[in-house]
Amino acid sequence: MPVRAITDTYVFPSSSRQELYGDDQLVHVLWRGNMTLCAAACFRAPKAMTWSAFLTEMVEPWAGSDPDYVPGSARDWVLDGRPFTPEPDRTLAELGVGHKSLIEFWV
Amino acid sequence: MAKKLPLKQRYAALTRDVHWEPSYVDPEKVFPYTSFEGIKIHDWSKWEDPFRLTVDAYHKYQAEKDKRLYAVLDGFAQSQGHLTLSDARYLNAMKLFIQGVTPLEYAAHRHFAFLARYLNGAGPRFAALCQSIDELRHTQTEIHTLSIYNKYYPGFHNWNRMHDRVWYLSVPKSFFDDAISAGPFEFLIAISFSFEYLLTNLLFVPFMSGASFNGDLPSMTFGFSAQSDESRHMTLGLEAIKFLLEQDEGNVPIIQDWIDKWFWRGYRVAALVAAMTDYMLPKKFMSWKEAFELYFEEQMLGGLFPDLAFYGIKPPRHVEHAIGEKDILSHQVYWVLYQFSFAASFTTTVPEPYELDWLSSQYPDTFDRFYRPLWDKARKIQENGGRFFFKGLPQLCQTCQIPMAFTEPGDPTTICQRHTVYNGERFDFCSDGCQWVFEREPEKYVQAWMPVHQIYQGNCGGPSVPEVLAWYGIQEGDNGEYLGSVEHTNWQRWHATAPVGS
Repeated sequence: MPVRAITDTYVFPSSSRQELYGDDQLVHVLWRGNMTLCAAACFRAPKAMTWSAFLTEMVEPWAGSDPDYVPGSARDWVLDGRPFTPEPDRTLAELGVGHKSLIEFWV
Repeated sequence: MAKKLPLKQRYAALTRDVHWEPSYVDPEKVFPYTSFEGIKIHDWSKWEDPFRLTVDAYHKYQAEKDKRLYAVLDGFAQSQGHLTLSDARYLNAMKLFIQGVTPLEYAAHRHFAFLARYLNGAGPRFAALCQSIDELRHTQTEIHTLSIYNKYYPGFHNWNRMHDRVWYLSVPKSFFDDAISAGPFEFLIAISFSFEYLLTNLLFVPFMSGASFNGDLPSMTFGFSAQSDESRHMTLGLEAIKFLLEQDEGNVPIIQDWIDKWFWRGYRVAALVAAMTDYMLPKKFMSWKEAFELYFEEQMLGGLFPDLAFYGIKPPRHVEHAIGEKDILSHQVYWVLYQFSFAASFTTTVPEPYELDWLSSQYPDTFDRFYRPLWDKARKIQENGGRFFFKGLPQLCQTCQIPMAFTEPGDPTTICQRHTVYNGERFDFCSDGCQWVFEREPEKYVQAWMPVHQIYQGNCGGPSVPEVLAWYGIQEGDNGEYLGSVEHTNWQRWHATAPVGS
């Protein structure tokens, strides 16, 4: 259902569109089965960042907010609803991680 | 000497008689905003103003109320009344109020002034004018009331700037911006009906009763002072919806759609009130669940909606999700506030043992099972010299802008994830309700100013937390953990039994 507006055309760009982040994009990471961290985290990550860099520089420091997190224990990765196997040396873009993709894991 | 007119005629002379039908100018040009929404009005004179207030009577009443309020404020300030509060922790609730609610009063003042110019009928124009003045008075009296605490406690000083910038305040702000940027009839359903009638007791009673139970005489008095205005606003809300429904059958589906949208939008804003009610009041008076059952389920679903069924109006869409959340909502939201309070203009802390027990008694099915263990864990971290914070930024719901901490219906352990792809971009939602609201008007919600996304774009003072806090206007002592904070230390010092001057 379109907006009913006072003008004939009501078209505005998204305030969160990918181009506003240059070579980076927003990536959401959710630790499933853990109620301590209240929500998924949102990161700004370069598309060319490798999975291993993304994991050690962004995901693990955040997961470590919970003192029960053991580095390296994340498993059963899911990308945008589909199980996936991250390869450490491939970039986020190569792995199919897009702007505002949701990555989930269990420990 | 002119004879004084009887009341009814005086009211007519001072309100309806100053109205005329434009003949030199096309009425469409005089009232350009009341047709595009698809609402049909055949006879504006059918709008009844049940209060029949005239300008002079209105000012007389309000002046008397103000006199009484300001006498209380003076007495409280002179007698160091702030020292008689239940606890300094209580003031976190009032920080939330001045940052989150007071700016909405001002926004309401502005938009009711707009309606007072642009509605076609003299009756609703005058009602909107009175409400506009009311809302400005509420803004001023709230600022004056809470300025008493600003002298002694952090977190009260920058509320207006914070309202425009801070992540949790984008929740109430975006709600009102959404209403103001809609057409005039949608605004009436959004604010006068959904906010002022459907949800008002849920939104205001916890703050005002909380004030009364926790020794906050100024806020309680303000609440009483505003109460007679609020009853007029509620009546306006009910009058608005009945008028629109009676004018044309074609209005019914449009109104139903707005009720569906604005119930969910308003209910999500109320999530902040839920957390405040259960966790921020040292002296408890009523749980969120109890308030929800009484003010919403009994009074609205049980009382109002059966009346509206006569017009073909059904209870709001997604209402079953709201009912399903009553045992978990406040716990989820306060847990969010606890772990993000490093970036808030209030402090949080692990609830005291008596509070945990009270929560167990109020929420026997959920608290001990899901939430007490989290607080036990947080306390343990604190006992080991730490403090649990979420080291990062959260995923936000595109519609309500609350961090996506809400859970799947019927399963409090699984975070709810919904998303919609629009124009090739993914948008995330916390619930079916928020997704539905977005999909009605995606062109509107893609423009949302999402605090986390804006920080990452570099629009909030800089990339680091201290830079963002400085841009928010948050100063040392406003945020973080209550225990050991400026307000906690001062409170203890002011209540120490040592003789004065020692």
